[in-house]
Amino acid sequence: MAATGEMKAPARRAVAPAVSTAPVTARRVLLVRVIVALAVLAVWEGLSRSGLFYGEVIPSLTRIAASLGKLLVDPVFYKNLQVTALETFASLSIGAALGIVTGIVLGANRFLMRAFEPYVYYLSPTPRIILFPVMIMWFGVGPASKVALGALSAYFAVALSTAAGMRQIDAILIRVGRSFRATTWQMATKIYLPAMRVPILNGIRLGMGTAIITVLLAETKLSNQGLGYMIMQVYTRFDMPGLYALLIVVFAIAGACNALIGKLAREQV
Amino acid sequence: MADTLVRKSSSSPSLLFRYGPEITGLASLVVAALLFELLVRVGVINRYVIPPPSDVILAFERVVTEEDILGRSGATAFEMIVAAVAAVLVGVPVGALLHRSPLWRRAMEDWVGALAAAPIVLAFPLFLVLFGRSPKTIIVMAFFHGLAPIILKTIEGLSGTRKVLINVGRSLNMTSSQMFWKILFPSALPVIFTGIRLSWTFVLITVVGVEYLINLGGLGQLINELAERYDLPGTYAAIFFVILVSVFFFILLERVELWLRPAR
Amino acid sequence: MEDIRLQPAMVVDDVVKRFGRGDEIVTAVDHVSFNVAQGEFVSVIGPSGCGKSTLFNIIGGLLGDYEGSVMIGDERISAPHPAVGMVFQEESTFPWRNVIDNVAFPLELQGVAKSERMDRAHHFIDMVGLASFEKNFPSQLSGGMRQRVSIARTLVSQPKILLMDEPFAALDEQTRLLLGDKITQIQQELNQTTLLITHNLTEAVQLSDRIVVMTYRPGKVKRIVDINLKRPRTSDVVGSDAFGHYVAEIWNDLREEASRGMADSESAASRRGAHG
Repeated sequence: MAATGEMKAPARRAVAPAVSTAPVTARRVLLVRVIVALAVLAVWEGLSRSGLFYGEVIPSLTRIAASLGKLLVDPVFYKNLQVTALETFASLSIGAALGIVTGIVLGANRFLMRAFEPYVYYLSPTPRIILFPVMIMWFGVGPASKVALGALSAYFAVALSTAAGMRQIDAILIRVGRSFRATTWQMATKIYLPAMRVPILNGIRLGMGTAIITVLLAETKLSNQGLGYMIMQVYTRFDMPGLYALLIVVFAIAGACNALIGKLAREQV
Repeated sequence: MADTLVRKSSSSPSLLFRYGPEITGLASLVVAALLFELLVRVGVINRYVIPPPSDVILAFERVVTEEDILGRSGATAFEMIVAAVAAVLVGVPVGALLHRSPLWRRAMEDWVGALAAAPIVLAFPLFLVLFGRSPKTIIVMAFFHGLAPIILKTIEGLSGTRKVLINVGRSLNMTSSQMFWKILFPSALPVIFTGIRLSWTFVLITVVGVEYLINLGGLGQLINELAERYDLPGTYAAIFFVILVSVFFFILLERVELWLRPAR
Repeated sequence: MEDIRLQPAMVVDDVVKRFGRGDEIVTAVDHVSFNVAQGEFVSVIGPSGCGKSTLFNIIGGLLGDYEGSVMIGDERISAPHPAVGMVFQEESTFPWRNVIDNVAFPLELQGVAKSERMDRAHHFIDMVGLASFEKNFPSQLSGGMRQRVSIARTLVSQPKILLMDEPFAALDEQTRLLLGDKITQIQQELNQTTLLITHNLTEAVQLSDRIVVMTYRPGKVKRIVDINLKRPRTSDVVGSDAFGHYVAEIWNDLREEASRGMADSESAASRRGAHG
């Protein structure tokens, strides 16, 4: 017995494992992350001091940190942040409301789904920013054109996700509702809505992501306020540490919003 | 059996009936266009906000002959191809390496995910400084935007290989490279192509978007120029052209993906 | 006792259901008649394709368009009836509600006040043995526990007739036997009139007072068998001689139907193969 057991073990080790079998502990994962992060920072700092890039293209970490500190206490930053936040919020509200209505209509009716969903589906990944000139013609150069473009971006994600969510509701849950003789209103509020909560929130999360980017990009193209405008100003001044600091903050805000809605979607109840 | 076949064909409804919804969808588009035409001609809608659809259709010819939209498509396509191929050539090996090492995978997968979600396009002023106002900037940005989905889907595809297939490989005493090329990679291919489809979609959006934003290169720049010249029908025509080309591109990618998926 | 037994809780009379149009009509349920007495446990058994699920949907009122009649008192069923509580084969708990809110669902629809509906839900959760899981969500429960939640949810509306469609189909044999005990116990406690649709022979004999054996397509009643096993009953009965006798007797009938079903599906598969 013991002999065959020993025979087997090396034989098994000789064949190739699909993946490396070293134990993975949380500590080692953290260690790798810290090492990678430090290495990136070190390379950055090295490049910054090497003089390979002219002037300010890769500023030293301390200068980026200083700019970041300055930015976070700058009232101008908060004024612009407020503009962008309001534009994004407005565009997401409009886009999501229209998207949910469209999604419910497409999800509930097979005829309308076959007639119109392909358009929504195939238009959804087309580049949105190129519609900005049209939005300017329709809504002017002010915040309205940014809101409209943002709403358009959010609309597709929410509509598609809602429609898919509606179709994916487990048929058995609808039968349960009917077996207990739920009224139409009870079916809507107690079965359909809770069952579609996660896909709708996921659609809103995706929609918010594209709405933020679209609003900011529109601001960089033509605007006199907002974070996108601020990015262009910093860029025109060639204030590279400031540009890095601003981009870091914008990426962090976008990531945080994304995580927040993602958490909402994962939560039960 | 012949009986059932005959019955099926004779009872098949007419084309009009079978494609009713699709025809309705198309017809609605035509009706909407005619409605706009009417509203513009009557003067309810200002023709300097929405040009009459007939003008837009006529502008197509001008956009092709005078604005060289086909040549510009070539410039855009070139940037896309370079970025798309680079994303695959880097993304698949990186994904495969991360899959081999559970430690690195756990350490890096979330970061790659964050890269996928990050609004990279917004950093275009930065890339402008780093790479200058040249197609290089556009290509590098598109490459970065297209990289993450390929890495993520490669990891997902490789680790989704069914356990029993891996055991088959083990029972045949396969070496690790045989295991990868004969079992893991073929089994992961459909998922990897899903990553490629997502990636190339991002590449298209980024290339055209950045072209428009920095006014350089192919189709994106054309739209920007036409808009700045206030050539409304031309702008609309160019936008429709880009949308049409994108849609065909997505459909093509989807077809390839479907074709790669194992028959079930 | 005799008197109550004589008034049936439900009468299924000459029910016919056909699907399809023109030449492609399939008769799923073919002139089926039987009744269920007050407090009685009746099972309908048959191979797949005998129209059991169609019958379930008709009695549950989810399939209103049929010939013949299913009567409860003097009402013909054509829509879900308050006297009939359904338990489905598929996992049917609401994933977004915890156990007690799942069970209280029918009371919520009826507009019962919150404190009362919690009390009543609690009572039935206790009955199915999940008292310590009231705040858990379905995703945190095993398949057998989730099915017990569904059963409690149906019982809480206090239906005159409990109608179950293979409620244990997705469970393993041991869980199935134990859950069967639970069902027997509850049924005896509440004197609950129950109609069980199943293809599982041991389950049907273990639980029933009478078994309606159906034929393979078109679904007719082949035979109705009285099960005279002692009550109160537990899963121990599975080991008894009488139990084995009933199983053997009904299997005799079922085997013929099941093999017809198998032959049908095999020839369908070979046809598909020839086409593909």
